[in-house]
Amino acid sequence: MEAAASASDMFDAIVMAEERFHGEGYQEGYAEGSHVGVIEGRRYGALHGAKIGSEIGYYLGFALTWQRLLHRSAKEKPSKKTKALESLIGMIQKYPYEDPTYDKLHEDLEKIRGKFKQVCSLLNIQSDFRLNPERSALTF
Amino acid sequence: MKDSLSLLARLPAHPDSRCWFLAWDPSGTLLASCGGDRSIRIWGKEGDGWVCKSVLGEGHQRTIRKVAWSPCGSYLASASFDATTCIWKKSQDEFECVTTLEGHENEVKSVSWAPSGSLLATCSRDKSVWVWEVDEEDEYECVSVLNAHTQDVKHVVWHPNQELLASASYDDTVKLYREEEDDWVCCATLEGHESTVWSLAFDQSGERLASCSDDKTVRIWHQYKPGNEQGVVCSGADPSWKCICTLSGFHTRTIYDVAWCRLTGALATACGDDAIRIFEEEPLSTPQQPTFALTAHAPRAHSQDVNCVAWNPKEPGLLASCSDDGEMAFWKYQRPEVC
Repeated sequence: MEAAASASDMFDAIVMAEERFHGEGYQEGYAEGSHVGVIEGRRYGALHGAKIGSEIGYYLGFALTWQRLLHRSAKEKPSKKTKALESLIGMIQKYPYEDPTYDKLHEDLEKIRGKFKQVCSLLNIQSDFRLNPERSALTF
Repeated sequence: MKDSLSLLARLPAHPDSRCWFLAWDPSGTLLASCGGDRSIRIWGKEGDGWVCKSVLGEGHQRTIRKVAWSPCGSYLASASFDATTCIWKKSQDEFECVTTLEGHENEVKSVSWAPSGSLLATCSRDKSVWVWEVDEEDEYECVSVLNAHTQDVKHVVWHPNQELLASASYDDTVKLYREEEDDWVCCATLEGHESTVWSLAFDQSGERLASCSDDKTVRIWHQYKPGNEQGVVCSGADPSWKCICTLSGFHTRTIYDVAWCRLTGALATACGDDAIRIFEEEPLSTPQQPTFALTAHAPRAHSQDVNCVAWNPKEPGLLASCSDDGEMAFWKYQRPEVC
């Protein structure tokens, strides 16, 4: 009985070898791939996050500068321009930079972009900020 | 059914070019057409025929995609592929471009005036919808830039009696917007079409909205206010919109335009199969699950794609259409006898 069992184990080992090595290979490859993927993902995320950060930073600097400029020259009740600027600044300050899992990250970014365009239209100036890297007005 | 839609006149509105869109002025006496030749033409009836009263030629550098009359009839707005929207002021029979609205990054696809006349909406290939406010001195200020769509926005239209704006997009959805604390917000997304939504039309009451699409269907959406009898769930104070009818199997190609007659309730469509079709709600169908019947069909209404259909706002059954062949046609629609 024992001899028969070990013989069948031996045969099993031979017959199943391909499947076993395939499985082990898969596990090793998966672990390796996950590791490399995490590194690549982190790098990509950092790059993408930096882009968003510089874009929003540009908007904030722009808005704060214009808020100062308008504040100095006008003392009457808040105009549409001032209100729009305040709203843009408020949206940027509320934007959760620290939380990349925030599910409305892109939705809120689109709203900020829209508000920025509205502000530009109200101020009657053309923004030179471009998302397109080739034509980017920002160089670091 | 054969004679329910009869041709009254056919005119080369924009020869050697495409005729993109038509708009009746609120009094129903003037019709504006626009096209690929970068011009707007104003048409009026003289005797039995339609004649060109003026040509507005110097406003745009590229194709004029859509035109819209202000509710008072004194202004005409034109949306162009040159990324601008022009406002034309009418004095006597003359038109003068008084303002050019800039801001969109590329092609402006549509323009629409709110019923009050103090708000204007534009939309563009840049995926955004802009809302503009007009003051007494004809000054336009942008009140909101809405980036709710993820693709090219094809059409914008206002609700007939509320400050509610609807937009149709290449992202297959329809979105609705309302004002909220000095800004505009997207308050509903109508999902159901399987391809580009090309145009929209509210019915006379504004409780229903028709949308037409590249998926060869027309969908009818119904507005359910909070606390409605039918028990349709609404989020907060916003009404909810539900598709109550889909017209499928009638059209063989993209439906480019839909028009809902405010006088008769008839629904006309402009299709890429060169045909014009008219639908009417069946008298005995239930309001919450209506059925629409095809009551007229002009299979070769034009020699190429039909781009637009427009019901005259004052004369019941008078329909204008235009096409890629550069022509414009006038039709008389008579509801067929019920048999």
